[in-house]
Amino acid sequence: MNGPCPDRQDSIADYALGALDREQAEGLRKHLADCHDCRAYLQRLEQQGEALAALGRQVEADAEARQDKVIGVLEGVRAAPARRTPLAVGRLARLAVAAVLVLGAGIVIGRLTTPPPVDVEQLRADVETAVLASLTPAVRRDLLTQVDGRVQAALSAREAQVQAEIVAQVREDLRVFAAQLLSGTETRMDRRLAELVELVEAARRTDRQRVAKALEQIQTKMGMRLYSLAARTTDLPASMPN
Amino acid sequence: MDERSDKDLVMASCRGDRAAYAELVRRHYNHVFLVCLGVLGNVHDAEDAAQDAMIKGFERIAQLRDGSQFGGWVITIARNLSINLVRKRQAAARTVGNRQHAERPRTESGHEDLQRAVARLPWDLRLPLVMYYLDGRSVKTVARQLDISTSGVYLKLRTAIKELHDIMVTQGDTS
Repeated sequence: MNGPCPDRQDSIADYALGALDREQAEGLRKHLADCHDCRAYLQRLEQQGEALAALGRQVEADAEARQDKVIGVLEGVRAAPARRTPLAVGRLARLAVAAVLVLGAGIVIGRLTTPPPVDVEQLRADVETAVLASLTPAVRRDLLTQVDGRVQAALSAREAQVQAEIVAQVREDLRVFAAQLLSGTETRMDRRLAELVELVEAARRTDRQRVAKALEQIQTKMGMRLYSLAARTTDLPASMPN
Repeated sequence: MDERSDKDLVMASCRGDRAAYAELVRRHYNHVFLVCLGVLGNVHDAEDAAQDAMIKGFERIAQLRDGSQFGGWVITIARNLSINLVRKRQAAARTVGNRQHAERPRTESGHEDLQRAVARLPWDLRLPLVMYYLDGRSVKTVARQLDISTSGVYLKLRTAIKELHDIMVTQGDTS
C-alpha cells in the first residue's frame, strides 16, 4: 500500500473533517479523481472516523450501566458531601460546647476561689455603723462641742465678712453721693455767675446810654451858646432856627 | 424523566435533593466519561476518573455559582483529574523506566484495535479526537470546552486522525 501524496495529506485530513472551503474542496476532489492512493487514504480516514463514532455509540450504550454504578456509589458516599457540612458543623458545635463548658467551669472556679468584688457603698455604710456604735457618749459630747465651736467660728467669720462688705458698700454709696452733690453745686454756681455777668452788662449799657444822653445835652447847650455868641456879633435871629 | 433545568437541579442538589443530582449524573456522565477516556486512553481508568469527577462535583456543588454551567464545570473537574492522573503515571513510569500505564488499553469487545490506537495518541490530541468523534461534539463546542481556538481544534484533529491512521497501519502490519 502506497501512502498519499505528502503535499496532499493535510488537505485530505481537513477534507475528512469538513474544514476545507468550497474552492479548496473542489480542487482536492479533482486531485482525488486522478490519485488512487490519496483517494484510498481519504477512504481510510473516513472509515476511521466512522469507527470512532461507532466506538462512541458503544461507549454511550454502556453509559447507562456506568451511570447506575456511579449513582450507586454516590448513594453510598452521598452522605459524605451532605454529611461533610454537618460533620464540620457538628465538630464546630462540639468545640463550641466544649469551649463554653471550659469557660463556665473557669468562671465558677474563679468565683469560688477569689474574693468577691468590693462593694464600696456597702463598705462605707458598714464602717459608719461600726464607728457610730463604737462612740461613747462622752466622745459624742466632745464631738458635738467641737462641731458647735466650728459652726460658731464659721458663723463669726461669716458675720465679720458681711460687716466688712456693708461698710465698703456704704463708703461707696457716700462717695457717689458726694460726687453727685459737688457736680450739682458747680452747676448752680455757674448759673449764678452767668446771671451776674448779665446784670453787669446791663448796668454798663445803662451807663453808656446815660453818658450818651448827657453828652448830647452838653453838645446841644454848647451849640446854643455858640450861636448866641455869633448872633451878638452878626445879624442873626435871636433864636436858633430848628 | 425529570424536566427541570440543570440550574434547578443544581439548586435542588445544594438543598440535599439526592434525586436531583442523580438526574445531573444521567445527563452529563457520558460526556464526563468520554473526556476521561480522551485523556486517559482506556475505559477502566476513564470509569474511575469519571466516577471521581461526579463525586467531587457533588461535594463541591455548593461552590458552583451558575447552575446552568454544571456540564462544563464537571467536565473541567474530570479533565483536571484525568490530566493529574496521567502526569502521576508518567512520573511513575519515568521512575521505574516503564511505559505509560495510562496508555495500556484494557481489552474490550468490539473496537479493540481502534481503542489501542486511540490510547497510544498523546492525550492532548486524544481528548479533542474523543470529544469530536466519540462524543459527537462540534468543533466550536470542543474549542470552548478546551479553551482553544476552532482553528486550533481543527489542527489537533487533523494531526490526531493522521497519527491514528499511522498507528492503525503499524498495528495492522505487526498483528
